[in-house]
Amino acid sequence: MQTTASPKRTSSGSGRFLREYGWAYLFILAPVLLFLVFTLYPVASAFVMSFQQYQVMGSTWIGLDNYKHMIGDDVFWKSIRNTVIFTIATVPVNILITFVLAYLIFQMKNKAQTFFKATLYLPAVASGVTISVVWLAIFDPTDSGLLNRFLGLLGIDPVIWLGQSGTALFSLILMNWLGSHGAGIILYLASMGGVPKSLYEAADIDHASGWTKFARITWPLLKPTTLYLLVTGIITSFQVFISVYLMTQGGPNFATTTIAYLIYQTAFQFYEFGLASAQSFVLALLIVIVSVLQFKAFSSDVEY
Amino acid sequence: MARVEFRNVRKEFQDHSKESFTAVAGSDFVINDKEFVVFVGPSGCGKTTSLRMIAGLEHQTSGDILIGDRVVNNLHPKDRDIAMVFQDYALYPHMTIRDNLSFGLKNLKKPKAYIDQKVKEAAAILDMEPMLGRKPRELSGGQRQRVALGRAIVRDPQVFLFDEPLSNLDAKLRVQMRVELSELHKRLGATIVYVTHDQVEAMTLGERIVVMNRGIIQQIANPTELYAKPRNMFVAGFIGSPPMNFIDASIEGGRVVVEGGSFELPAAKLDALSPYAGRKLILGIRPEDIHGEDYAPGLETSPHRMNTHIQVVEHLGSENLLYFHIGGRLVTAKVHPETKAYPGLEKPFIFDMRKAHFFDPDSEQRIEI
Repeated sequence: MQTTASPKRTSSGSGRFLREYGWAYLFILAPVLLFLVFTLYPVASAFVMSFQQYQVMGSTWIGLDNYKHMIGDDVFWKSIRNTVIFTIATVPVNILITFVLAYLIFQMKNKAQTFFKATLYLPAVASGVTISVVWLAIFDPTDSGLLNRFLGLLGIDPVIWLGQSGTALFSLILMNWLGSHGAGIILYLASMGGVPKSLYEAADIDHASGWTKFARITWPLLKPTTLYLLVTGIITSFQVFISVYLMTQGGPNFATTTIAYLIYQTAFQFYEFGLASAQSFVLALLIVIVSVLQFKAFSSDVEY
Repeated sequence: MARVEFRNVRKEFQDHSKESFTAVAGSDFVINDKEFVVFVGPSGCGKTTSLRMIAGLEHQTSGDILIGDRVVNNLHPKDRDIAMVFQDYALYPHMTIRDNLSFGLKNLKKPKAYIDQKVKEAAAILDMEPMLGRKPRELSGGQRQRVALGRAIVRDPQVFLFDEPLSNLDAKLRVQMRVELSELHKRLGATIVYVTHDQVEAMTLGERIVVMNRGIIQQIANPTELYAKPRNMFVAGFIGSPPMNFIDASIEGGRVVVEGGSFELPAAKLDALSPYAGRKLILGIRPEDIHGEDYAPGLETSPHRMNTHIQVVEHLGSENLLYFHIGGRLVTAKVHPETKAYPGLEKPFIFDMRKAHFFDPDSEQRIEI
């Protein structure tokens, strides 16, 4: 059978397509343009910049020199080490704290649930600066510091929390542990509410103990939420900046310099924008690799 | 296997405003060993609450529940030796079918060889060997239903409890699963307590049926008795599809008088109805006991005729449903498809008064005649 396409029909077909979908593409165009101008273009130009000695009036191409300099820089490796220690120390503990709090809140009645959800979410609303100011008062190295005063009651001498290499990074970690878990709690509570009650009833009939129900039903069914919190938690802690900037400025002796803070210093204190771009790309690459590995290791296709 | 007994069991719930609501009002019954008993009734009638009290998932406000010879009032669900199939199947979504089946036995710390044997047996009975390695979401509704059954079977419980297990299946699959459940009952020789709101399911599956309404047991009987001798208007209206017609009537001069006609009654029936002479009562007659005059095998000479105007005709293929009004009430007749009928046609209908029921309009109880 032969078919011949009529040119008239084709043109009216594309006209109809435009009439039907033209507006949709126009609406999509706005966010796409914003993304191109304010995200993709800066990322691409930063990538180019990482191979340049950046100057406002004409940069010079220096190939891989920025990357070579970075690899040979002890401070860079120290910042990686600090960032990794910070991430390993904070993310699992934070997830555990979040989970335990959510589990406790989940058992409560409606009004108590609302109270604790709101209270624990408050720090997420407060700015990082405010929280850092509070923690500066807690870590105050003199006798009047809240933490030192508490230790004094136990007969322990005051500690210069943020001023010595041995305790500075730990202090930032402690502050992170006791920081905001509100968003994670809300996510966990939503997931816990989504587990059908009949599963627990079936487990009751199936002779499951309280621990078995937790380990074999609750925890596996909350795995997607845990994975999400793990991935976003690691990304956030790889980029930790505000607390370092406001409380220690990376010191003492680079003991709290993280990659994000190093990038800031390189760019805005030493004006080495090319080197800072190279460091940024290494950070981005690290985050991508770690995220992919996590998804491979923990991803689950649990059906609710 | 074992019997299940309720002794004056009552269950009250409290709502948010602390007002109490009676879900089950003093139930008394015995379910015999190896018996298949179906609880049926509309939503909120207390049937599921009764089942959940047997399971131990709800605790009764008062009364005693016995499984076998044991009073199980304060026993945890796991100690009652029961297995339950839930309405939503309650399969563990992250476990394979094999793990779903063996979960209970593993918790009981049974030896691995025993567990494997039990899982294999259940899989063979329910024809689900090929799906043991799959997860629930990879199965169809019918297959999930089988897994839920299998999870109950592997445990060899004293009593099986089914909570509307077929309500999520399509009509065709429901019929198929009904047959399979009946066969399974014969094969396992188990005591089964089954809850449904579907009276067809109840009639086809139950050896005895418990009809409930508003927390009160209306009647406990086998399907034939329930159909032929409903205790009250609720049971009469609930069992049978389409439901029984109720027509306002009175007894006058030895005849049953309804609006637009009257029927003569045999002397024996009249005797029983004599206390109602001159009073109102309700005539109950099933749609299948009203025939068109032109197709009423065996009733051609019946004197119980009445002319009415047909309002609506529904053609169902094997039968037709005709609708007309008597005394302000819509009446349905289920007639042979060869019966001549179209909307607006006035024709005589024959009422099979041998199968008619009479109800007291105040107590709504059936008058025994």
